[in-house]
Amino acid sequence: MKKIYLDNNATTPIASEVFEAMSPFLKEEFYNPSSSYKFADIPAKTIAHSRDIVCRFLGNVSPKEVLFTSGATESNNAAIFGAIKANPSRRHIITTTIEHPAVLEVCKEAKRMGLEVTFLPVDSNGEISTRAFVQALRPKETLLVSIMHANNETGVIYPVETFARLTKETDAEILFHSDATQSIGKLPINLNENFINVDMLSMSAHKVHGPKGTGVLFIRKGSCWRPYLIGGHQEQGRRAGTENVAGITGLGRALELVWEHQAGPTLGKIRRLRDKLENALIEKVPFIKINGSNENRLPNTLNISCHFIEGEGILYQLDTHGISASSGSACTSGSLEPSHVLRAMNVPFTAIHGSVRFSLGRYNSEEDINYVIKVFPEIISNLRKISPYWNQEKNCPRDEQLIATKL
Amino acid sequence: MGWQYSDKTKKLFMDAVQGAPGTHLGEIPSPDGLGEHGSIACGDAIKFTFKVDKHASDPLKDVIVLAKYLTFGCTSAIASSEALCSIIEQKRLSPVDALKITNQDIVDFLGGLPEQKIHCSVMGAEALEAAVIDWAQKRGVDLRSLGINIGTHEEIDEGRLVCQCFSLTDVYLKRKIKELNLQTLDAITHSLKAGGACQACKYKPGGLQDILNEVWGSTNANNNKTTKEESMSHHPDHKHSTDNSEEKVEASPYQLGKKVENVIAEKIRPLLQRDGGDIEVVDIKDYIIYCQLQGACSGCMGAQMTLKMMVERILKEDIDQRIKVISV
Repeated sequence: MKKIYLDNNATTPIASEVFEAMSPFLKEEFYNPSSSYKFADIPAKTIAHSRDIVCRFLGNVSPKEVLFTSGATESNNAAIFGAIKANPSRRHIITTTIEHPAVLEVCKEAKRMGLEVTFLPVDSNGEISTRAFVQALRPKETLLVSIMHANNETGVIYPVETFARLTKETDAEILFHSDATQSIGKLPINLNENFINVDMLSMSAHKVHGPKGTGVLFIRKGSCWRPYLIGGHQEQGRRAGTENVAGITGLGRALELVWEHQAGPTLGKIRRLRDKLENALIEKVPFIKINGSNENRLPNTLNISCHFIEGEGILYQLDTHGISASSGSACTSGSLEPSHVLRAMNVPFTAIHGSVRFSLGRYNSEEDINYVIKVFPEIISNLRKISPYWNQEKNCPRDEQLIATKL
Repeated sequence: MGWQYSDKTKKLFMDAVQGAPGTHLGEIPSPDGLGEHGSIACGDAIKFTFKVDKHASDPLKDVIVLAKYLTFGCTSAIASSEALCSIIEQKRLSPVDALKITNQDIVDFLGGLPEQKIHCSVMGAEALEAAVIDWAQKRGVDLRSLGINIGTHEEIDEGRLVCQCFSLTDVYLKRKIKELNLQTLDAITHSLKAGGACQACKYKPGGLQDILNEVWGSTNANNNKTTKEESMSHHPDHKHSTDNSEEKVEASPYQLGKKVENVIAEKIRPLLQRDGGDIEVVDIKDYIIYCQLQGACSGCMGAQMTLKMMVERILKEDIDQRIKVISV
């Protein structure tokens, strides 16, 4: 069977170069980098080397500003809880309703701890009003702003540069954190240029063809922050635990590959394939809607809602064709609640349940996309034939539903 | 996580979507019984219809000969609908006997369902019940006089709304908890969806835990977690603290706003308008004035300069040296 992987926002296939770089550290070079004998030099050096790569990747930041973590979830937890611990006199946090759960749930936890949290709403394109952001800022009270760079479900890009500048101009002591997990390698991020006002940044390796279980938290020098994982002296005592040597090596190698591909035609190819898929589906399938603004969107993400049907049945049929994608429908979420991102965007229920996310990656080909374009329209019409909200005879929605959903 | 469905479930689903012969997809025109359950907002819905061979004298001897469905829902919801129709047609039941089909029969027919998908089978059984009630009304059969205890679907409208997300009342929940022998909160969610979305109704007074205790007695309550979730506030009120009032008398935020407005109207706006531009004050907090340049000024390369050198300088001189202007 074909294997067409279009779920790169969930995770990406590990690059073979990354795997090669990692494998010695899972076998012969097993030594603890903190040990004193000479064999431990090699793992210690590879960590230093990866850290240098990360520093250059983020815009020539200092090695002391880079902490290796177990992934973006830990980085987000550490950023937010670490900021709260270090700033007991401030009790207000600003975030958004469309954050990844690794920020959203942490902020809800902060709320249960007694802090006040402003969850900024988004409009139907998934965008945040700058005006609402400004109004939420409280000089001397706000301790942290956490806003993601690009959304994992819709690919909508947020103007972190502007939000961070407004934050710092309002009160330089407010910490600004951004979860950049989805934008690394896709958008320009330079902590000494466009992201100069960002204090903390989270990222992970496995979204850029690196290994799972490895991430980075950038913390700008001088930021008021306390360690989250406490124990050993590793990472200058700011993130305890024996280093994941293989993972950190893989992260470094993965970022080097990002450079190579950024210089080449890869991103342009991904965008062209995404646009081709998007335009073909719009043309061939009636009553679908793209979720997320057009201009400010990651080049690899396509989130579409197919009205009057349920996403799980779409995914299941795609799976029988060997196509991997994901959905914001309740039935695929593990709970009975559909996507919080699409709900925040006020996408009608008929459309949330029928949402599908295709996220492309470096290794997708034109044939992959052609195959999806070939099978997708039939998958949708199969399900609509079964749907009580679809007029099977006329092959269109039943009228009352049309009105109800304001199509 | 992969698909945890039985082969039978997968087959019924694929047969249905591909319109294989022998499937029960569709809607019977002028049916003898019609039942609907669920809604598009809840994520699944079924429209179930059947046709009977009418007995000449005794409606109770009618036999269901044809059953069809239209379903909006996930793989297991569609397979459950298919299963329901197959069971009924195979057994050649009277509508009253068909009521004995439970969601468990549907689960068994499918060779099991993942527990969080049990509600799909319940939906099928509910639609069947509604269709039989419809049939009884059309054929003039009084189900109650036959000693059949049918929770009428009016229950949905009666009683107190407990689960807001899926519109379920206490009357309905109590009946179903007993009928389906649901012992835990998770079982309630898996079978009826109640408490599965926002979860607010789980532990609040009169919520699911209380109903569960009421039905089975509180000793049976094995699920005493503390409230998990607080609702998010989209509209936090902005309490600008006034308690750190300094010794000397400060202009109130209102007074400051008024002054800024006046200076802008009298001195700043005329200057900007001369160049085809304008200015809007987005917000004022403490002595920070958030401004947006508009018109010809908005795209001007010197907009930042204008704000700092002209707007901020004038406001500082005329009102207070602490004023700072930020461009939005």
